[in-house]
Amino acid sequence: MTLFKERIVSKKFLIISGILVLVIAITFMAMPSSKVDFNTEVKPILNKKCITCHGGVKQKAGFSVLFREEALGNTESGKPAIIPGHPEQSEFIKRITAKDPEERMPYKHPALSSEEIAILTKWVKQGAEWGEHWAYIPVTEPDVPSNSNSWIKNNIDHYIFSKLKEEKLSPSQEADKSVLLRRLSIDLTGLPAPEKIAKRYLQDNSDKAYENLVDELLASSSYGERWTSMWLDLARYADTKGYEKDGGRNIWKYRDWLINAFNKDKPYNEFLTEQIAGDLMPDPDDAKYIATAFHRNTMTNDEGGTDNEEFRTSAVLDRVSTTWSALMGTTFNCVQCHSHPYDPFKHEEYYKFMAFFNNSRDEDTETDYPLLRQYNAVDSTKLFQLIDWLNKNVSKEKAKEYYLFLKTWQPAINSLKCDSVNNGSIAVLTNLRNNGTCRLKNVPINNHRQFSFRYNSDYNIKLSVYLDSANGAQLASYSSAKTNGWKIVSLDINSIPGRHNLFFKLSSSQSGDATALTFDWFRFSDPFPGADKLGYASAKQQYEELLSAPAETTPVMVENNTDLFRTTNVFIRGNRLSKGKEVTPDVPHIMNPMPANAPKNRLGLAMWLTDKKNPLVARTMVNRLWEQLFGYGIAETLEDLGTQGITPTHKDLLDYLAFQFMNDYNWSIKKILKEIVLSATYRQDSKFSKELLEKDPNNKLYARGPRVRLTGEQIRDQALCVSNVLSHKMYGKSVMPFQPDGVWRSPYSAETWNLSQGEDQYRRAVYTYWKRSAPYPSMLMFDGGTRDVCVTRRIRTNTPLQALTTLNDSSYLVMARFFANRMNEIGGKDINSKIGKGYEAMMYKSISAGRLNALVQLYNNSLEKYQKNTMARAEIAGDLGKNNPSDAAMVVVASAMLNMDEWLNKN
Amino acid sequence: MKKDIHNQKLVKEANRTMLQQSTRRHFLKEGAMGFGALALGSMLGGCFGNSSSSSANLFDATNPLAPRPPMFPGKAKSVIYLHMAGAPSQLEIFSYKPELSKLDGQDCPPSLLAGKKFAFIQGVPKMLGPQANFRRHGESGIWLSDNLPHLSTVIDDIAMLNAVTTDQFNHAPGQLLMHTGSARLGRPSIGSWVTYGMGSENKNLPGFVVLTSGGNDPDAGKSAWGSGFLPSVYQGVQCRGEGDPVLFIKDPKGMDRDIRKASIDAINKVNQEQYQEYNDPEILSRISQYEMAYKMQISVPGVMDINDEPAYIHEMYGTKPGEACFANNVLLARKLVEKGVRFVQLFDWGWDNHGDSAFNAVDIGLVNKCRKVDKPITALILDLKQRGLLDETLIVWGSEFGRTPMQENREGKKMAFKGRDHHAGAFSMWMAGGGIKGGTSYGESDEIGYNIVSGKTEAFDIQATILNQLGFDHEKLTYESQGRPFRLTDVSGKVITDIIA
Repeated sequence: MTLFKERIVSKKFLIISGILVLVIAITFMAMPSSKVDFNTEVKPILNKKCITCHGGVKQKAGFSVLFREEALGNTESGKPAIIPGHPEQSEFIKRITAKDPEERMPYKHPALSSEEIAILTKWVKQGAEWGEHWAYIPVTEPDVPSNSNSWIKNNIDHYIFSKLKEEKLSPSQEADKSVLLRRLSIDLTGLPAPEKIAKRYLQDNSDKAYENLVDELLASSSYGERWTSMWLDLARYADTKGYEKDGGRNIWKYRDWLINAFNKDKPYNEFLTEQIAGDLMPDPDDAKYIATAFHRNTMTNDEGGTDNEEFRTSAVLDRVSTTWSALMGTTFNCVQCHSHPYDPFKHEEYYKFMAFFNNSRDEDTETDYPLLRQYNAVDSTKLFQLIDWLNKNVSKEKAKEYYLFLKTWQPAINSLKCDSVNNGSIAVLTNLRNNGTCRLKNVPINNHRQFSFRYNSDYNIKLSVYLDSANGAQLASYSSAKTNGWKIVSLDINSIPGRHNLFFKLSSSQSGDATALTFDWFRFSDPFPGADKLGYASAKQQYEELLSAPAETTPVMVENNTDLFRTTNVFIRGNRLSKGKEVTPDVPHIMNPMPANAPKNRLGLAMWLTDKKNPLVARTMVNRLWEQLFGYGIAETLEDLGTQGITPTHKDLLDYLAFQFMNDYNWSIKKILKEIVLSATYRQDSKFSKELLEKDPNNKLYARGPRVRLTGEQIRDQALCVSNVLSHKMYGKSVMPFQPDGVWRSPYSAETWNLSQGEDQYRRAVYTYWKRSAPYPSMLMFDGGTRDVCVTRRIRTNTPLQALTTLNDSSYLVMARFFANRMNEIGGKDINSKIGKGYEAMMYKSISAGRLNALVQLYNNSLEKYQKNTMARAEIAGDLGKNNPSDAAMVVVASAMLNMDEWLNKN
Repeated sequence: MKKDIHNQKLVKEANRTMLQQSTRRHFLKEGAMGFGALALGSMLGGCFGNSSSSSANLFDATNPLAPRPPMFPGKAKSVIYLHMAGAPSQLEIFSYKPELSKLDGQDCPPSLLAGKKFAFIQGVPKMLGPQANFRRHGESGIWLSDNLPHLSTVIDDIAMLNAVTTDQFNHAPGQLLMHTGSARLGRPSIGSWVTYGMGSENKNLPGFVVLTSGGNDPDAGKSAWGSGFLPSVYQGVQCRGEGDPVLFIKDPKGMDRDIRKASIDAINKVNQEQYQEYNDPEILSRISQYEMAYKMQISVPGVMDINDEPAYIHEMYGTKPGEACFANNVLLARKLVEKGVRFVQLFDWGWDNHGDSAFNAVDIGLVNKCRKVDKPITALILDLKQRGLLDETLIVWGSEFGRTPMQENREGKKMAFKGRDHHAGAFSMWMAGGGIKGGTSYGESDEIGYNIVSGKTEAFDIQATILNQLGFDHEKLTYESQGRPFRLTDVSGKVITDIIA
């Protein structure tokens, strides 16, 4: 009821303010000099009031205001609705001002305000010009505003200060050293600063003390781990493949690649290029291949009976959408089904962009091919010798082809491409029983003289391959005893041009229902080259041995060769099965064009992304770095800088940072971070004044320092650190620290959580095994996602389940025990001193009397209880306590301290 | 004069609004020890309060779970959704097809195979007659197989949907479509939509609870009860049948309630001091959340404990306290609904009747699974009725798709057991309570249960009907995300009026 009343009143409010606005608007219109700005004034009205019916999805009455040519074009009535310069002749204006409700637009919705009508009228009068949204215009060198104020430390502060001045606010003073030390250390390394570094900083009163601290932290190896944690969300990294079965995937080397790249401060343009197209760079090494696992973190569906092509397509679409949302702050998915309803992207452009990603070899197979094969040390030396021989004796192209095949078994044809299977089945791979037959359709033989395949059989077999029909000419025949595992065979064949169907026929010593042979892949190639060269025989032998040698594998990108090339079509209304026009790789017209020398493949795409004319890439990254430090981006919607995103609070600062990042700092992440953390803006005290709480509760104007809750990863890592149990071991397979039973419940999966032993229990969270269908609970509670798809931003929540986690998760109990132990060691006998020292270890400052009293009281209450209850004290103190009441009470205090708000936040 | 009065009104209104705001602020500042509304309010305020698109959204950032009236008076106040994950064969339970018996063992005619895709069937399969006996039951005379002897006694409370279809024939996407309106990941589940629309009646319990049984979570995993783009406060909270009912709800061993209380008091005193220094309202939320956590530690295990139910209730449901089983979950669902939980979602895994094992055979495993759910589901209907809650509790029974009238011949082989492949073309679901007309049947499939003949019902129609019973127009319950309003039923959905009382 009250609501209803309010509405009536506010309507009256509207009428009054409407009249007022009209007066203003009329005055406004009388001033011919002021030009309506399309982006800030017109576009928002069109987006909000018109485009739902007259835009990308619907174009009612043949009228659309999405693109200028559409808006000015003929409508169903045969005439254009907008006539530039003539609002009085424009149907568009007539309709929004009409009285008849059947005529008046927006149809069946509230009328436009007089202010809105005035703006649109004036805009038509001035020629109905279109403008581009700022986010699609390249970054130019900005003029830094200039203020004179002693608070200002660098250019960033000039931008912040100017805005504060406008809002009649003043910045806060620099935070205490203790607060800064913890804030900076957690921001840059995700951990409290090592004791040595902390001590040095706290004792150094020189002007350079803070900058030295910044440099030391940036140089620490923990830095790479911290920023990798962030990037893993964007890369939708997980240790499992997702969907129903959600089986394991060995892709942790990509995580290690990231840690290295961040620690070495690999320039962001190279960082992206290697991840998008490392495999297409000249002579890629293992690291460049592993970087491309970025886009192999897409999910693979191993559920029985699913269509691999459907989920391969899903993975490709996911690569498109991740490239846009993670790297270019743009929600591109809409364009899959229709032109973007709000931003200037056309339907067809989505598929042109998709064409860049549509020719990688992966095919949603359970084997997850292509995999990079990394040999052991001995075999790596052999490989090196073999490649050396090839380089010296055959063409560079041939040498490359053989290197690629040894490293990836690509390009090969997966046995899942077989069909017409009789007496056999297609499951994870293609299986044949005795007398089984199958067909391999339309394969490119193209005069290649060798036919190879990888197979596995526990029986004596005879395999015959026929050309074009089951009764056709025999292409090859092969007999063998059982293989004891996988075997790669190469058979010489006649030179046959073009594509053909192959028919396989198996006879074997197996009788009954069991599988007699499983195919993995097939390949057509030329015989090993250099037959006339010295050392041919041993090189060939080495090649064959290496091909089957054991290897560690990681899913990577490998491009189709011309034989296996896929065409790309528009999907009509986004439906994969309804194919439209064929398209070739290209970028949307609104963006910077492809650089002149860029090939139309993923490498060219990377060149385009990292071209300084790309308006989105640098802005998106600096916005994200800012968000990591301040809690919100300069443009809050990291995932959408376009017209639907939230307008940046300091657009000029965003551009300044983007320009610096690309130019002065040559894409160095460490350098741009350093400039941000050296600013007075970052160093401010984070206390809220009453004024700020009312005027700027979310600190969008930066009149105080950031105060933000830490991530689940950081909360765990710092607790391990202060408890003195954190393992500093870097890299390697993901680990499985303690987690409650029953969290993993994937159907059709026998995989289990195998508790890691020793120090692997206490590794940094970035090394924790991430299962998509059941991520590590404590990280999920603190807003971690499943990483099924790219997580562009974690929305922070504050829930009772988080409290329960840090209070009761047995990992946190174990850390509390270790921390209690540490306090006992460093604090001497006195409880006040123990708690005081513990607090100092956490917060780098002395504890206040009130806090100390609260914690001492908790200690005393607990002590009293545990004096009476011997069993309870043994349970709470675990192995670490000496089973005396004070140890038990200390664990309770330590656990409480690990739950302090000031500890869960950076202040 | 008139103008003056008007102005006074305006001033009064403005003052009231200001007062409301300052009261809220007052509450935030001074009311640190009171929680519930406040706690969740500030939890979201920071993240969503400033969103430019939130204006069109229903939810109130200051109290997102406050009970809200629906759009129009609905018949149901809460929903219990029973999902049999894996897709049970409709042909052995609800769908009586005598014609199919006659075709048993014959090759499937090519007309049924042309242009069709199957998950596992390869080549030409054989038809498989119904592997159960069917009888008419109740006054309505609805056909039901002997696999559900208990349910047959309450058939006149049930509205049968016999022509449900989907376009998904793999489990995970099929489940996602049923529960989120999209076969792809990322959309909010129906329970999230409902709690977003109506809030929750109980401040100490989550508004949307998920219970799973059968040894596995459903194939779609947590996304089947995810909140998608809705605020995370609306996601389903999975309670567990064994171990802690909510993860980390139990204090560590050796810590009794008094010490826990003392420890939360100490934490909150320290945080209170931090608040004095920093003035950050988020600190107050944290204080509230710690108190809420303490309360939940008492209320959740209480409601999740079925031991205190009388013997006749255990007898009626066939419950076994301490086990993670479907019967226990059904009883829990009743307890939760009684306490004001808005949406209780059950998933029971193990209904994938392929015939690749005895467990998955339509004449062995399916019969056993039916036995395990028949009694508790019937008990739920009777129990709610005797408590006067059936009218306001909507029960939905269903799955992600059905099974083929052909026998599965995986890898082109005759299989060891009798089973059926995934089938999207026609299957059965039912609803009861919550204003549904009992003893009705809606829709019909052809004489072998392969295709729909009339009364086609899609996931969107079921979703629209559920929302309708709660008092929502499914076309109007929307949320702005990525610049456009989204709804559960996407661009489809019609309320199945034929089964509404």
